[in-house]
Amino acid sequence: MDIFDFYRKDRWPHVFCPGCGNGTVMNCFYRAFNELGLDLEKTAFVGGIGCSSRIPLYINSDALHTTHGRALAFATGLRLSRLDLSVVVFTGDGDLGAIGGNHFINGCRRNVDMTVICINNNIYGMTGGQASITTPHDYQSTTTPYGNKEYPFDLAEIAVAAGANYVARWTTRHVRELTKAMKTALQKKGFRFVEVVSQCPTNFGRRNKMADPTQMLEWFRESSVRRDKARMAAVDHVDLNLAGQITVGEFVSRDRECYEELLGVGKHGV
Amino acid sequence: MSDAKEYFVQGNEACVEASLASGLKFFAGYPITPSTEVAEGLAHRLPKAGGVFLQMEDEIACISAVIGASWGGVKAMTATSGPGFSLMQEAIGYAAMSETPVVLVNVMRGGPSTGQPTRASQGDVAQTRFGSHGDYQVIAFAPASVQEMFDLTVETFNFSEKYRVPAFLLSDAEIGHMRGLLRVPPDIEVINRKELGVRRQDKASEVPDNLVHPFPTFGRGHKTMVTGMTHTDDSRIEPEDPEVHSELVTRLNEKITRSRKDINRWEVINEDARTMIVAYGSSSFGAREIAAKDRRIGLLRLKSLWPLPEEPIADVAGKCEKMLVCEMNLGQMYSHIKRVALEAGCRTVELLPKIGGDPQTPSEVRSKLREMGAI
Amino acid sequence: MKPVVNLKYCKGCNVCVYICPKKCYSRGAEISEMGYFAAVVSSPEKCYNHNREGKLICELCVLSCPDQAISWFPETEEEKSR
Repeated sequence: MDIFDFYRKDRWPHVFCPGCGNGTVMNCFYRAFNELGLDLEKTAFVGGIGCSSRIPLYINSDALHTTHGRALAFATGLRLSRLDLSVVVFTGDGDLGAIGGNHFINGCRRNVDMTVICINNNIYGMTGGQASITTPHDYQSTTTPYGNKEYPFDLAEIAVAAGANYVARWTTRHVRELTKAMKTALQKKGFRFVEVVSQCPTNFGRRNKMADPTQMLEWFRESSVRRDKARMAAVDHVDLNLAGQITVGEFVSRDRECYEELLGVGKHGV
Repeated sequence: MSDAKEYFVQGNEACVEASLASGLKFFAGYPITPSTEVAEGLAHRLPKAGGVFLQMEDEIACISAVIGASWGGVKAMTATSGPGFSLMQEAIGYAAMSETPVVLVNVMRGGPSTGQPTRASQGDVAQTRFGSHGDYQVIAFAPASVQEMFDLTVETFNFSEKYRVPAFLLSDAEIGHMRGLLRVPPDIEVINRKELGVRRQDKASEVPDNLVHPFPTFGRGHKTMVTGMTHTDDSRIEPEDPEVHSELVTRLNEKITRSRKDINRWEVINEDARTMIVAYGSSSFGAREIAAKDRRIGLLRLKSLWPLPEEPIADVAGKCEKMLVCEMNLGQMYSHIKRVALEAGCRTVELLPKIGGDPQTPSEVRSKLREMGAI
Repeated sequence: MKPVVNLKYCKGCNVCVYICPKKCYSRGAEISEMGYFAAVVSSPEKCYNHNREGKLICELCVLSCPDQAISWFPETEEEKSR
């Protein structure tokens, strides 16, 4: 399937800023989906609110564009009512980890059968660049003009601790690895979480001396450390600062029973 | 239970029966007094009926999951009380904007805030109509007995499906927990949403007479786009366009208000009385006792609250001289009823509010009527 | 195969310029019809896929391009011989 059979060509060029990592993620996802020969008619896409949450609206399939932070809850209802449909969720760091935090950890815990792509651009981009729960310490945003006093979440580690069957993190600088991770995720069962650290040059990069998207990509490359080579466990070093590291790779791949199996959906009956 | 015809059950249990009889296939709930029995009953019964029961992490997750399930094409419901209902408002607005059929049971308790978890009130009726932001319309029913917990739950499902709108059953701690006789009729009229079939391009966005588009269920090849953003009837997202927004929101509202006569449900006792009491749910008990014994006093018991049943109110208001509204709140339907009644020619419309958990007693109603010079 | 930049989609972000390991792209100096300094395929002959049919060796630019503006086209005989 051509990329513009997968995406709605009549909506191109899309609204994302020049250099936005969302478009890169869209390429990788399309590749992964297409190489696996998956069926768009048997897949439903769900998004919350935010730039990355708009990706489902660009896909040539059923799309549920929900309220801020609640994509996982909507997706849970949709998935459990229609076991014949695979569900893929596109969300962002704030949508998933801040307002959606409760649904995130419970979705992992329940291990609902869905693929969740969290595009983490370390900022609330759509609304103009406010700090997010993954904005690195000391960094600038419109709500942290004196530098972010808080420390960020490590979303992938949270997903591991909460019980997701598959957790991986890559950046938009690692397009090949990202595509592979998405392929792996799409083939597993249960809650599959792929975090993509991505550039928002307009609202994050520009305020933090990385206005050019290529500067942000270089920052990702310099800061990335493969998980198996990381010198410190992420729990000791939850920081995405320039001096810190972005741990990338596959965090966990397990085969816990998924929620549908646990509930026995479709197995009861009169 | 499915063979027997008469039962002695709790109001909440009757609601469970009705939801199953209506074809409920998905329930997501969160424990909250006094609605928990609905969730517990369905936890037992719904899986056996081939449906899915979930207890979610919070009420927002509940209503969100219910909306998601509805887009899968199944009838979906949640049940809650005041505090949970407040949490659900954003999603309710989403359901209205996206025209998702969902059913929400609110077994009202004393508020505001944590208030009186185990005592009845009618404190959420205004919120049902105006709780979310923006202009939208919903459908809401107010049962006054165990039997009506069944009958009106069926109506709630039917109207939600027919009009693609969130519909509410507004019960309270008394009616939810009281035990009484339930008769389940052998045939129940069940209405299902009209689903979009094979779409003809030229007819894709034609507006039907009743302003309700067929439902484009997910997974049928429609490439459906659902959003809470302003959109056209053919799913283009156009938040910047004032005309698109105006057309959409106007249609969402007119969809309901134009069909008021189809939705209105009420009961009248002594319709030619010179003084009419208007009440609903538990607030009708005291008034009913008086009207049963005194022909001077009539009772208009509203069984549907939203859209406001203007026609039956105007009808009795045109014939009576005085009207008394009884509510278990400080007056939430009152000003709306008063507007309609005064326009229809009634001379005075007064309010007998009562909060704290007990319905208006017959003697309290009688006192007020005496004060009004009605008896 | 050679990479071609679709000027209707390219927003001149230059990620392709940065990511290409063979430096096939350069920053554009002309404003496109869409109003951007669209990237230019300045050295297609350096591309790993130059003079290659079938399976492509490197697709970093296509995968990275945020606007889906790059796609592969067959080369002419003249282009293949460069």
